Amino acid sequence: MSKTFTMPLGPVHVALEEPVYFRLTVEGEIVRNVELTSGHVHRGMEAMASQRNLIKNTTLTERVCSLCSNSHSFTYCMAVENVLGIKVPERANYQRVLTEEIKRVSSHLFNTAIQAHIIGFKSLFMHIMEVREMMQDLKETVYGNRMNLAANCIGGVKYSLDDDMVRYIQQSIDKVEPAVEELREIYATNSMILARTKGLGYLPKEDAIRLGVVGPVARGSGLERDVRKDSPYAAYPNLDFKSIVETGGCLYTRSMLRLHEIFESFKMIRQICRDLPGGPIVAPMPSVPSAEAVARSEAPRGEVFYYIRTNGTDIPARLKWRVPSYMNWEALGVMMRDCNVADVALITNTIDPCVSCTER
Amino acid sequence: MQEVIPGNAQLIEALSALGTAPDAIHHKVDTFGNGYHWFRLDTPRLLTSGAEALHQHGARLAMISAYNRRQLSEPMQEACYHFELDGVIYNLTVTLNGEWPIVPSITRFFNNADWHEREMMELYGVKVSDHPNPRRLFLDEELDAGILNEVVPLSIMMNGACSTDLWERIMSDKEKKA
Repeated sequence: MSKTFTMPLGPVHVALEEPVYFRLTVEGEIVRNVELTSGHVHRGMEAMASQRNLIKNTTLTERVCSLCSNSHSFTYCMAVENVLGIKVPERANYQRVLTEEIKRVSSHLFNTAIQAHIIGFKSLFMHIMEVREMMQDLKETVYGNRMNLAANCIGGVKYSLDDDMVRYIQQSIDKVEPAVEELREIYATNSMILARTKGLGYLPKEDAIRLGVVGPVARGSGLERDVRKDSPYAAYPNLDFKSIVETGGCLYTRSMLRLHEIFESFKMIRQICRDLPGGPIVAPMPSVPSAEAVARSEAPRGEVFYYIRTNGTDIPARLKWRVPSYMNWEALGVMMRDCNVADVALITNTIDPCVSCTER
Repeated sequence: MQEVIPGNAQLIEALSALGTAPDAIHHKVDTFGNGYHWFRLDTPRLLTSGAEALHQHGARLAMISAYNRRQLSEPMQEACYHFELDGVIYNLTVTLNGEWPIVPSITRFFNNADWHEREMMELYGVKVSDHPNPRRLFLDEELDAGILNEVVPLSIMMNGACSTDLWERIMSDKEKKA
């Protein structure tokens, strides 16, 4: 008689934020094999994109994902700017990065909160969400929305920040930073967190290279992979920041890496508030040629990649994008090898998965 | 001053040998100075050589984009493979056979091509030879492969929403099962 049996997990599960189905082959409490089935939230967004004009697609792409919403419209606009040959004004480049880093802080805090929730550390979950709420307030005050900020447009950004708003952002960051420092301290020392995360979900560097993983998952396994450094875009070449790389390769490493990255984001936000150049915020759109271009950026979860093909009209012939989670799912097979069934949801959360993004 | 486009000269030379058409190769730089190299290969079979060269240089597969070039009713499909090496993007484009669109799988060089190739199979009906795991990625088996090659009339699309067709189909399926 076989010692293993098959166990389904999902597509709807209390510890999963979005629907995905795992077919686990288990031997007692130990997972021996993982097979993933997705497609529950496929929305056909790429087909929709080829029925809308370039301007409408800015709104559509912002809705691919809520946590990385800004990264999508940002990268999409860069792809269009590459195909049309638009040079974005310096002020717009700074404001784009400002929005991106504000979103990164919120996104990393959300992932850290969910990690505490899955561990069962409810008070920490609520504590982190309360800190994140300060970032949500900041977004709502500056952009009018909490998630889809609608900050980007082709050729630049939609609104210019005035001095009062810049001062408000700085003051907000001054309040949030010590609160995140406290969270980092808890994550680094709390025995319950350490017991559930240290050494778990190990992804060796060789597997990270083989699977082409991106973002904090790659950097947590010692890979120096960060689009902001590898091919600097927007205002990143002018900013002083570090790309955090750790070699631990486990859940703990990735959580700490995200928390460290938040401080680099604070550093960049402060630099932008200090050095924000004046001038126009948007460049005009020229006529559309028949051409193709790609663009990529570093979203909170890793590299976002866009390909656009135009045919001389304002409706793209093809718009294709690949989100960071798309590259990271397969790494779960390595991370979950011989783990306990009880750790499956926790390990899934470590790639900061986004199912809706992946399936589009 | 002449503009310098970043890139690996040895790799560019190896990939340039795979496309002989006059407009097969072009190099670009964006406004931030990042390099993009575009190669149009003579046949899809050459993808294997291109992928091997990229693999040897330590490149990473970033994405594969399939698309139709002409009107939907007369597809001429192409696939563009996007790779990254040292912050520079190398794009390999292949034009597929209109009757029998097929590309070789590059999963033996790039494990992460698995999902991209499966997506290309289900959305554009492109065949991928020697794919290790050719099952559906997102779409249900009931849907025909190559759904993005088809034009679906609005009346068909709306059947479930504004008529009794969907309900009748469910009921008749239920009766058949009973």
